[in-house]
Amino acid sequence: MPAQEIPAVEIDHVSFAYPVSGFDRKPAPAIEDIHFTIDQHTKLGVLGPNGGGKSTLIKLILGIIKPSSGTIKVLGHSPSKARRLGLVGYLPQRIEADINWPISIKQAVSLGLACRTKPWKKISANDQAAIDRSIELVGLTDLADRPIGALSGGQLQRAMIARAIAGNPKLLVLDEPTVGVDIAGQKRFGELVDTLHKQLDLTVIVVTHDMRAIAAVADRVACLSRTLHFHAAPQGLTPAVLAQVFAHDVAGVFGDIHIDAHLADECDDPAHAHQHQHDCGCDHGEEQINGGDRS
Amino acid sequence: MSVLTLSSTTTLAAAGFSINPEHYPIIIAALVISILGAALSVFVVLKRLAFIGQGVSHAAFGGVGIALVLGVHGATTMGAIGQLGIVVAFSILAALGIAAISRSQRGRTDTAIGVVLSASMALGFVLFTVAESGHEHDEQGHAHGEHADGHHLIEEILFGNILNTTWTDTWVAIIASVGIGATLWFTRRKLVFWAFDEPVCDAYGVSSRRMTDLFLVLLALTVVMSMQIAGVVLAAAMLVLPGAAALNLSAKLSTVFVYALLVAIVGAIAGLQAGLAGDYPIGPSIVLAQSVLYLASLLVRVCLVRLRS
Repeated sequence: MPAQEIPAVEIDHVSFAYPVSGFDRKPAPAIEDIHFTIDQHTKLGVLGPNGGGKSTLIKLILGIIKPSSGTIKVLGHSPSKARRLGLVGYLPQRIEADINWPISIKQAVSLGLACRTKPWKKISANDQAAIDRSIELVGLTDLADRPIGALSGGQLQRAMIARAIAGNPKLLVLDEPTVGVDIAGQKRFGELVDTLHKQLDLTVIVVTHDMRAIAAVADRVACLSRTLHFHAAPQGLTPAVLAQVFAHDVAGVFGDIHIDAHLADECDDPAHAHQHQHDCGCDHGEEQINGGDRS
Repeated sequence: MSVLTLSSTTTLAAAGFSINPEHYPIIIAALVISILGAALSVFVVLKRLAFIGQGVSHAAFGGVGIALVLGVHGATTMGAIGQLGIVVAFSILAALGIAAISRSQRGRTDTAIGVVLSASMALGFVLFTVAESGHEHDEQGHAHGEHADGHHLIEEILFGNILNTTWTDTWVAIIASVGIGATLWFTRRKLVFWAFDEPVCDAYGVSSRRMTDLFLVLLALTVVMSMQIAGVVLAAAMLVLPGAAALNLSAKLSTVFVYALLVAIVGAIAGLQAGLAGDYPIGPSIVLAQSVLYLASLLVRVCLVRLRS
């Protein structure tokens, strides 16, 4: 019997509230008592409205912020240790890198690995090879020596993905990667993520408020709106099926989301169900119609 | 040292320059500090920190005021070092204060600089007046004082007076520059990542907060060194102009650093020549020369863009 694989991410009853300034304001929880596990090698789409806590979840997984309560493990380590070990790659929601910098694409891609190299040492041949491979995987080999400012928006995003995967991470976190991207672009992005997932054996977390992005990228879906409504995708529910369902019947896609006991109890209240539908775009009132959990 | 001095004198004399040996500490200090300023200026310009440099340099005036009130001044070697220590400490506090206020104001750095700059300048003038009035009071009982010409002292603080530079000042500048330069070299990769893409660097294990604080400390130290040449008002210019000029001339980071060093060195030599031979104020002359080089680089850039298009 094979040993059980360590989960990519274990989130154990985590809550987080940002501190606020001013005497008349109280900290509002951005995330409240979320509890779930992400297995390795999955492509999880985290869907939720703006302000639903998606970026906060990413910061928690990356170890940039610490939970107010609960614990998080990333590949068996604390998030900050996993980050230090280079186990996590990250693509930000908005690429705010200064494209006027006098550096080439290859230099920009190498920055993450360069920072893990001792100051008195050159970047090793292995790391150089990893940088070249990551540039090749995102299809920018021909442009590698061009200035970073010469890239289009899509190419810049791919360069930043190359930077994220250059360190050979096990987990890739993508924050709203398809904002402002048309349907064809989303499809291409989905294909790129699929390629990276297969070639690098990555676990991928895509956080978005765009259901089409989920359809293009993910094979598992979780719905986050302050609290998490998580669903390990039913067997046979491929991204293609998701895309079909998303296009025609959004309620159908999310109607089968399994809600943990605590939330399910709350959702029995029609008023709460209506509120939840408003918050996360999921219509839990349709659960019975669609037959509940298909798995 | 004597061999170097003799050799330099001979070479420069052969090139048509004659240098008064008394000016060696001035020349060396100006070159060392200009080179240091050039190295930092690339980051300052790319990270858009020019205004923070202005804030820190003006804040240093508050440090000068504190040193004067405490009676620590440059009349003796220990006094000079003590004064420098107080100004350095105050400038570092001001730089970190700007960072802390900026963070608490959700990144409104302009507000933070405005607060620290104004408060420090005001504190400096108030303490300067207190020191002056105390000094006048002392003069009723004593024959003379260090700061009888208060306006001249303020002028020196504001615009610098490198002619007062001694070998002690020069050695302090050399040691500080080596320390700052070594720190820059050791942290260069993280600094580049931080300056290029600060919002993401935490996710890659490069602490944004630590890098910001480290760079501001290095900036504060360099500003204080530069004040020796160009004073409170112009010190920050030496931390902007070489990098700004170099970025007009190259799109390759390593070349940008080389051009910045060249602009700084040429500017320093031109300013020293104007000051030592033409009797112009050296600090402002260096800044003026670097400004001319910046304008020339801008012209070159415009011409290159037009030629290519």
